[in-house]
Amino acid sequence: MKSKNRNLLIGGIIVAIILGVLSPFISSTNPDGLQATAEHLNPNAIQNPGYWHAPFENYKVPFLGNGPLAGIAALVIGIIIALGLVYILTEILKRRGNTEN
Amino acid sequence: MHIPDGIIPLWQCLIYWVIAITFLIMAFRWGRKNLSDKNIPLMAVLAAGILIIMTINIPIPFGSSGHIVGAAMVAIIFMSPWAAIMILALVLLVEGLVFGDGGITSMGANLINMGICGGFVGYFTWKALYKPYMGSDGILTGSGILSKWWSIGVASWLAIFLSAILAALEIGLANFFPIRLGLLWMGSYYAVIGIIEAIVTVIVISSLEKVRPDLLGWNKLKRAQTDDLESDNMEVPSK
Repeated sequence: MKSKNRNLLIGGIIVAIILGVLSPFISSTNPDGLQATAEHLNPNAIQNPGYWHAPFENYKVPFLGNGPLAGIAALVIGIIIALGLVYILTEILKRRGNTEN
Repeated sequence: MHIPDGIIPLWQCLIYWVIAITFLIMAFRWGRKNLSDKNIPLMAVLAAGILIIMTINIPIPFGSSGHIVGAAMVAIIFMSPWAAIMILALVLLVEGLVFGDGGITSMGANLINMGICGGFVGYFTWKALYKPYMGSDGILTGSGILSKWWSIGVASWLAIFLSAILAALEIGLANFFPIRLGLLWMGSYYAVIGIIEAIVTVIVISSLEKVRPDLLGWNKLKRAQTDDLESDNMEVPSK
């Protein structure tokens, strides 16, 4: 990888981690627009049918409690998973494209 | 903006999944043709950044909050809505499976709203308002109804606003709330959230232009004419 691209990747990861560390402290606890609309118009019907139980529900690592550390750890894990997934998928697509050409 | 499980009936979710997968296949075809060692790191960084920035809810009036979606941002950076669909699909997958943010059955609807609608509306609104081209003097310039940064701001505002309107329609069609009231509430919230989306999009793209202008889609005009670039970015190979 060229140094310019490596620097972009490292810089981007650092910014993402800084935002991830800040997120549990600065994120509003107000419901988001969709939740707020549902709460106004149909509050009794909001039920999770439980099709899937996410390992880090509500952006928290369960065994780290309910504090900011649990949130920060979950987001760092999220960054690693997202980076890994995008890299694997895009590399596969790029190689398939090269093969076709 | 993430629709959870249990709001939209399964048969409607299935329809949204089929539409979403169709667009996703076309996005992968775009990726096969356009991904390179140069733009893969940017794509990875944008995915991680969007994942994190979606967790930061910014308070807005009326006791609500909102977060950035970033589909218009990605579509404008790559000059292709297919890039936005690909990145948003992966982000929504991680959010749904790992963090339980957004449903599994409703993931197709969420991709339609945030990735497909957000990407296409953002990109084509920007293109309608502003057209970059190479001047005869060889200097990259542009013209249009609005300036470059205003056009990016308006396009990203409209992208998230219409994404929210589409989500309200889907939820209304599911008889979860009356469509008219849903449109009114969602439209009001996301008209405000869209201003934050517009500001962040302009900041991110202008920062990227200062640091790595070569990665911005419109700077490829130095090597290709606008029309060629557009056909490159929009064309989906047949196999």
